[in-house]
Amino acid sequence: MMTVIVIALALFAVVLFYTAVRSRRKQTGQIRPVDLKAFRTLMDRDDELFLRGKLPRSKFFHLKRQRIRVTLRYVARIAANASAVLRMGEAARLSPKPEVAQAAAQVLELATQIRLQCLIAMGKLAMEYAMPSLQLTPGMLAPKYQSLRENVSRLGDLQTQNRAPLATAI
Amino acid sequence: MPLKAYMTNLWFLALALQSLLALVLLAKRAWNKFPVFLGYSVFNLCAAAALYMVHGSRVTYFYTYWTCEAIGLILGFGVVYEIFGTILVPYPALRRVATVVCRTAIILLLVLGAIVIGAQSSGERNQIMASILVAEEATRIVELGLLMFLFLFSSAFGLHWRQSAFGITLGLGLFTAVELAAVTLRNHLGTAATQTFGVVRILAFNTSLVVWLGYLLAPERVTSNADVPKTAQLEQWNQAVMELISR
Repeated sequence: MMTVIVIALALFAVVLFYTAVRSRRKQTGQIRPVDLKAFRTLMDRDDELFLRGKLPRSKFFHLKRQRIRVTLRYVARIAANASAVLRMGEAARLSPKPEVAQAAAQVLELATQIRLQCLIAMGKLAMEYAMPSLQLTPGMLAPKYQSLRENVSRLGDLQTQNRAPLATAI
Repeated sequence: MPLKAYMTNLWFLALALQSLLALVLLAKRAWNKFPVFLGYSVFNLCAAAALYMVHGSRVTYFYTYWTCEAIGLILGFGVVYEIFGTILVPYPALRRVATVVCRTAIILLLVLGAIVIGAQSSGERNQIMASILVAEEATRIVELGLLMFLFLFSSAFGLHWRQSAFGITLGLGLFTAVELAAVTLRNHLGTAATQTFGVVRILAFNTSLVVWLGYLLAPERVTSNADVPKTAQLEQWNQAVMELISR
């Protein structure tokens, strides 16, 4: 039995390495837009409470799962944007200008926190998808993301190579 | 071709590839970026040469082989630690989270290793050999688990790997995975699997050497700057989402 488990672990590792190679090839570093207003609407718990009160249980569960699927896409996009910002912030952090380096460090810190929040949000949303009666508000993400936008914009203003369009894009 | 001759050829190929890897690492001044990996590579080259020299004497070969294996394992852990530090350098904000998650992973892997040592039955008649094989199996589980942790953690946080660091981890991971499977089967099947174990091991190591050389010699990929989407695209996306919401 133990032999089978260990062999399975080794096989899983090989699959994981293969996936890592494939996803590395696909990595583009593209920033894709996120409509925070729509995202906030999706995350609005009052809205959910309203629907819960108005709709029959089965219909509410169906609708909630649909909302979760869309929300997960948003969270995945926010996470991808945060890692793209992380990659770009690397170079700016080494800038000889102290104000640029400091702004980049703040952006990196925020982007890291957002990645962490995204992971937590994904976990909570997955649990809510499995049990729609749960309500595990992952509400910190939208304000943090807004803050990241502002910081990236500030960093763009400080750098000679203006990154303001990037801030509006994310 | 008989298995023994095939093994010898693979051994010479490994020696040639290891010499090339050492040269590439020295040419790239790897002692600045990856000193432990450089040490690991040079040690493996010396170990392979030493094992070839003593392969006539069964007892000397046995002790040399397992001593080199133990040192190689320790250096392997050193390489994992080195890569862990390298990928986290640009992300100081992640260090605390990474350290906590890594410690948890190490504890879980040590528990798994201990379970393997306690529960694994051996098909090997020689008790010393059986103990060595189980110990190696447990240690390889910890090593492979840490390498998997590196990939999972960096993928969860979308961390960017430098080409060389990615290649080193991938090569080591592949070798460790095959080595773990081989040592487990060798332990389970007994001495009947010794020769097959040897061939699989050297094939896996040669593959890792090719991976290391490939990633070290290939030019570093330039990360493209962000593509700023057009306003029309943004509007389309918003409209689609709003439709989904109001459906």
